[in-house]
Amino acid sequence: MIYIGAEVIVSPLGDNAEANWQALSENRTGIALVPRIGFGGEDIYLSKIPGLNGPLRFQQLIGKALSALSRQIDTSILSSGKTIVLISSTKGALDDSLHDQFGETCAAIMRQFKLAHLPIVISNACISGVLTLNVAGNMVQAGQYEHVIVIGCDVASDFVLYGFQSLFAVSDKPCAPFDAARNGITLGEGCGAALISSSKSVFQNAPLELLTGTSANDANHISGPSRTGEGLVRSVGRTMRKYGTGTEEIDFICAHGTGTVFNDEMEAIAFDRLSLSDKPLNSLKGYFGHTLGAAGVIETAVCMQMIRNGMLIKSEGYRNAGTSRPLNIILENEPKMLRAILKTASGFGGGNASLMIRDL
Amino acid sequence: MKVITAYCNLRADECLVNGDVVARRDAGSEDSWFKQIYRQQELGYPKFYKMDVLSQAGYLASELIKRADPDISATYADDEIALVFANASSSAETDRRFMQTYEAGGSPSPSLFVYTLPNIVLGEIAIVNKWYGENMFAVLPKFAPGFYLDYGQILLASGSRALLCGWLEVTANSTDVFLFMVEERESGTEFNSENLLHLSQATSVGTF
Amino acid sequence: MDSLKQDLKKQIIEQLNLEDLSVEDIADDALLFNDQGLGLDSIDALELIVLLEKYHGIQLTNPEEGKEAFKSINTMAEYINKRKAA
Repeated sequence: MIYIGAEVIVSPLGDNAEANWQALSENRTGIALVPRIGFGGEDIYLSKIPGLNGPLRFQQLIGKALSALSRQIDTSILSSGKTIVLISSTKGALDDSLHDQFGETCAAIMRQFKLAHLPIVISNACISGVLTLNVAGNMVQAGQYEHVIVIGCDVASDFVLYGFQSLFAVSDKPCAPFDAARNGITLGEGCGAALISSSKSVFQNAPLELLTGTSANDANHISGPSRTGEGLVRSVGRTMRKYGTGTEEIDFICAHGTGTVFNDEMEAIAFDRLSLSDKPLNSLKGYFGHTLGAAGVIETAVCMQMIRNGMLIKSEGYRNAGTSRPLNIILENEPKMLRAILKTASGFGGGNASLMIRDL
Repeated sequence: MKVITAYCNLRADECLVNGDVVARRDAGSEDSWFKQIYRQQELGYPKFYKMDVLSQAGYLASELIKRADPDISATYADDEIALVFANASSSAETDRRFMQTYEAGGSPSPSLFVYTLPNIVLGEIAIVNKWYGENMFAVLPKFAPGFYLDYGQILLASGSRALLCGWLEVTANSTDVFLFMVEERESGTEFNSENLLHLSQATSVGTF
Repeated sequence: MDSLKQDLKKQIIEQLNLEDLSVEDIADDALLFNDQGLGLDSIDALELIVLLEKYHGIQLTNPEEGKEAFKSINTMAEYINKRKAA
């Protein structure tokens, strides 16, 4: 069995999973209007962590998350040769160094936490988080490591904002995933972390089970999703078949739901093809914005909190059905026993990834 | 056993496939080195011109490997070939060029922005081949055979039947590209650390 | 009108990296986004927006505005002249 636990979330909603859960259960969002930050001096909605500015903020955010995680585990494993840290990120410390976006951070984290191995960085656009959690699970399954700490982190930057503005992909209001009036993403920054291990005893609080998933490419377009959702269908299909999981066993889907017209439509088509349209579903990006390399880890950590607290969280930003295939969007928070959840992600480069989390 | 069935080394001045030189850079030409290879090899894929340097390098090397191993696409189902790539500088060179488009009074270029992620090259390779398999891009301090061996082992045990692996380090000042194909065969150059290191350093004056 | 169309063709070839094409290859009425025409895609459409601003000082506030205007060299030239006259 592959265990996952000790989840951490650092976002505008708080510095740990509990604080973030509290905010989510009150449907508070981390998205706010930031004046004059756009390329043309526009005010833009972003999800930014107050006080997180200046040099080394990427490294600091990772350090903060890893410290928080280490307080929830048997810390002796940190320096073990059987432990490795994986970092999921798209642009790392780009603002600190264009040419070394990750190296210095990995070296600093290794020193600070006395890790036996240099962290490995996985950079696969927006699927990085889910992909990295799968890599962690696979490494433990294969016996390559006993414990793998996954940290997903990205910080806000002009570079990324201007880029998405050039694609006309930035929403002029807080993003509204799956909504009929949606018109783009809201960028966010944050850090999620979790420990994946073959050993239950290293967790201070009971872990959950990670059902490692798969990834699949759309083979269609480098920055637009497949109109048929081919890659997502293949990834989720393979993930479910791997464990013989029937659709009836999935209690909830945490979708990617970025708020763009094309992504959300693609997901609706994919879930329809997979016969999962009736599953309670949300996107968490209405709370955190799109945190890119951190998204898969932050959002999986929220899923874990949903299982722990037995509650479905409303899909923030959604008002009216806006996809050609119906979805069962969660409209209000609802206490519910959740046994197994499906998390999906899709991203630039045509990537799609999925995983499942199950209560023990 | 797992065997390296084809490989391509793309350097600053020469390009080798399975140890043999297939192209040498014409220093006098106005065309970039990658464009020279593209034209010379008559690949006929105009989307090449829109790609950034990382994607161009990966695309070229993968096409050359396919020519050396023409049965690849027929041998495997469309989701059985996994793409496992890594480099040290992520998409830094393209990032730099994207920043240039908006820093000196211009506007940010959408066609450059979409390449400011290192994994886009995997998308380009998947698109041209219609491969729906697993993808991975890691950023590592230097070429590390262990990464490909460990992760490759995981993929081959979970549905992938072949690997197209790459080290794609392309910066303004250097080109260090090494792609290789891993397949299950009776015999051949074994997929192991020593052979990877050896082949990654192949040049026209022989490997050492 | 003619030199504007010539200029547009040169600018498109340059801005969109259409290396294998020359100005002579682009007919005035060729459908830019059609596979039988230039086969441009959605990212190319966004670059055309950048091109309009860079070379002609015309701003589009959203890609939808471009759909009609960008159909062909003819429609682009018409659009530019219309905006400049306004």
